[in-house]
Amino acid sequence: MGGNQSLPKITAQDKAILDLKLQRDQLRQYQKKIQAIQDREQAIAKVHLEAGNKERALVALRRRKYQQSLLVKTDGQLENLEQLVSTIEFSLVELSVLHGLKQGNDVLKEIHKEMNIESVEKLLEETAEAREYQREIGDMLANNLSLDDEDAVQKELEEMQAEALGDKAGEELQLPSVPLPSVPKEDPVKSPETDPVKSKERVAVAA
Amino acid sequence: MALSTHTTPSGFNLPSIHSFPPFFTEQPNPTTQTTVTNQWIRLITTYARHRKLFILRIEDAETPGSEWDEILRNERINRRLLPTHLSNIISAMSAKNLVEYEPPKQTRSVLVYWRLPEEWAEVLHDWAVKTGQLNSILTFYDITDPQIESALTNIPVPLLRRAIAILGKTGRSQIIAIPGGEGVRFLARSK
Repeated sequence: MGGNQSLPKITAQDKAILDLKLQRDQLRQYQKKIQAIQDREQAIAKVHLEAGNKERALVALRRRKYQQSLLVKTDGQLENLEQLVSTIEFSLVELSVLHGLKQGNDVLKEIHKEMNIESVEKLLEETAEAREYQREIGDMLANNLSLDDEDAVQKELEEMQAEALGDKAGEELQLPSVPLPSVPKEDPVKSPETDPVKSKERVAVAA
Repeated sequence: MALSTHTTPSGFNLPSIHSFPPFFTEQPNPTTQTTVTNQWIRLITTYARHRKLFILRIEDAETPGSEWDEILRNERINRRLLPTHLSNIISAMSAKNLVEYEPPKQTRSVLVYWRLPEEWAEVLHDWAVKTGQLNSILTFYDITDPQIESALTNIPVPLLRRAIAILGKTGRSQIIAIPGGEGVRFLARSK
């Protein structure tokens, strides 16, 4: 029984939705009934026709036609009801989305209260200062160490650049050496038709 | 003639004992009778599961043409289960909670529990989760007669109520009643 406390409350909306859905069910059941009547009328018409009673068969078929028109009408009603139900359900979803947005907004406001712009500016300033300080230290250390190393690094870079250039030059030289296809000198149309009998025979053997 | 299994038109594989004539008659020896009864219980529950049959009536053994004909009758050996025998089997099943008299206070028709109500409760909840119908209000007709056939199609309302009540104990279902009828809302498992 303790679990009951966590159940959501049954609101008037819930009851309205249930009411609509129950009505929809009734319509569906009504359609089933009409369908059954239609089938029965058709069977009756068949029996009458077999017995040679054309008049009775016609009456049964007329009744069947009438039931068919009812079925079409209920289809329209059913559609209306279902649309209404889905609209309500969708609105409820929208409502909960709205609620979620509102809560998110509140949370954001709370967070913003704690980080006002002044403190952020101050913090950023401090960070910039610290970064500047770090850079100075870095520069000092780099200057002290790299006078010789710097030369070596520059040299290596140049070597690599030269290598890359050399590769490219090699590729460009090779490109024009690809031979062009020679133009065929024979007449291309004649060759398949020179011996049609022979080629047919060949196909037949292969098959 | 050797006894063999037989596959019915509905695709159910009958056990070989179904072609054994004494299987259809009540045995004077109580031990033998218990064995026969247990075989019948297994046959009835597996067949019910195969055909998704929920209701078994004594009447099904009295007149041919019921959904249970394939097991209650064996034309190949010209045997059928007598109503009194079926009645005894049903009371044995009732003692094991494998059936429930439905409606109560009579012994002519039963709900066959080829899934226990607890198992049905899980099937029901799984279905609601899979079809995304948690938190929305459903009518019983929505469940027993859905547009797309489900595992719960044609489940008898009394069994459905029992399953819903079981889910209600863990806060996973909520019955909503209005003057025009009843509905149910399924909820995610609460901690």
